[in-house]
Amino acid sequence: MSATAATPIKSVDALNTAPEEYRLAVRKIVRSHAVNELYGARVYDEPAIALAPTPYLKWLTCRIAMEEYGHHVRFRQLGEQMGIPETEMTPEGRKPLSIFEFPLKTWEEFCVVKLLADLAEIIQVEDLLKCSFMPLRNLAKVTMPEEIFHSQFGKDTCTELVKTEDGRKKVQAAINHYFPMMPAFFGKADSANNALYRKYGIKQRTNEDMRADFLKRVRDLVEGHLKLKLPEVAEAA
Amino acid sequence: MSDAARGDADAAWAQVATFTAELPRLKWFAAVGTALTPSVIAAAERYVAALGLAPSPIARVAGWREAAATAQRPDWSRDWWQAESACEQALQRQGAARFGLQPLLAALTALTEVAAELQTGAASALAAAGVDDPALAKVAAGAAAQACHQRGLALLAGSETGQAFTAKFELFAAGRWPLGIVGGTCFVF
Repeated sequence: MSATAATPIKSVDALNTAPEEYRLAVRKIVRSHAVNELYGARVYDEPAIALAPTPYLKWLTCRIAMEEYGHHVRFRQLGEQMGIPETEMTPEGRKPLSIFEFPLKTWEEFCVVKLLADLAEIIQVEDLLKCSFMPLRNLAKVTMPEEIFHSQFGKDTCTELVKTEDGRKKVQAAINHYFPMMPAFFGKADSANNALYRKYGIKQRTNEDMRADFLKRVRDLVEGHLKLKLPEVAEAA
Repeated sequence: MSDAARGDADAAWAQVATFTAELPRLKWFAAVGTALTPSVIAAAERYVAALGLAPSPIARVAGWREAAATAQRPDWSRDWWQAESACEQALQRQGAARFGLQPLLAALTALTEVAAELQTGAASALAAAGVDDPALAKVAAGAAAQACHQRGLALLAGSETGQAFTAKFELFAAGRWPLGIVGGTCFVF
């Protein structure tokens, strides 16, 4: 059986019946999620425990770090079933997204990372909820509630922080720093990889569509809800 | 490595494996809000003393809302948190010297993966109390997971430095949630 958008691949074993380019495409997505979930936990969530201003927020951040790490574990386990070498599913073996190259310095930055990066992650995972590779679709269903909680955490903590003038300035500074890196999160325009993903129903939307959706939703959050300014950035990666 | 040292190391791995296996069987948060028993007060006193902090009164927290408010008070003790962090770092150094950093982290990762399931216990306790607060369930689960990690570290380091975390874990194992030192008082939920 060949995979097309209309013929879901129901299991890892059934992947053997799919075309080579389908298998490679799925491997690429699983590997990318495994690496980036672990990178995010290490670079942002774990260091943020020390920066959190109260025990309540420290323990909540501790839990969020565990959940992000748990997402890595789930993607890694799927990758292992698919025969992806473990070394390719850790940051040591793969180049990370550019956002991970900027270490966290303040609590406000962490809250903004959760606000922006977890919304971007939600948009990526939403697309996988209709993925033709069922194990990946099921994984998206499992991780989605936690991603939504993390994004809501970003919104709630930023909402609290902007109640003071000092907090507003710090949140705005963090948005100015991190937001320009976000459009690249969705990949290049006219991406050959993305075309392949859509050909087989692994993903549903173009990178441009997802980026536009993100920019709309983030503008609503930052300008509409927080009443802050979103910096101008080039929309195409 | 001598036979005696190898025997100690094997015993430490076995202790951590047993400890990890026991985690899902404990009655997490089952006694929160109830009156403090002498053994709970004694464990809390040992916890504070082992961290090298001045003795402080031990006080009960009666409900989930009060626990959440206590953990958000601005007068929480930075010395308490720093003392725990310093203890963790010392134990990590000792554990790494004993087993190597990578095996130590691998054992703690396996423990943390089991501890990730503790949110169920927190959510059940909150539901039993009629409190609908998913964020608070995650806060409680985060605190419990941290205590598991610290206790695992103490077992692997195999030194007296870990006594504070042994006492702290005793409180969780008794169905409690130690909320730390706030306003000069050690609060136990």
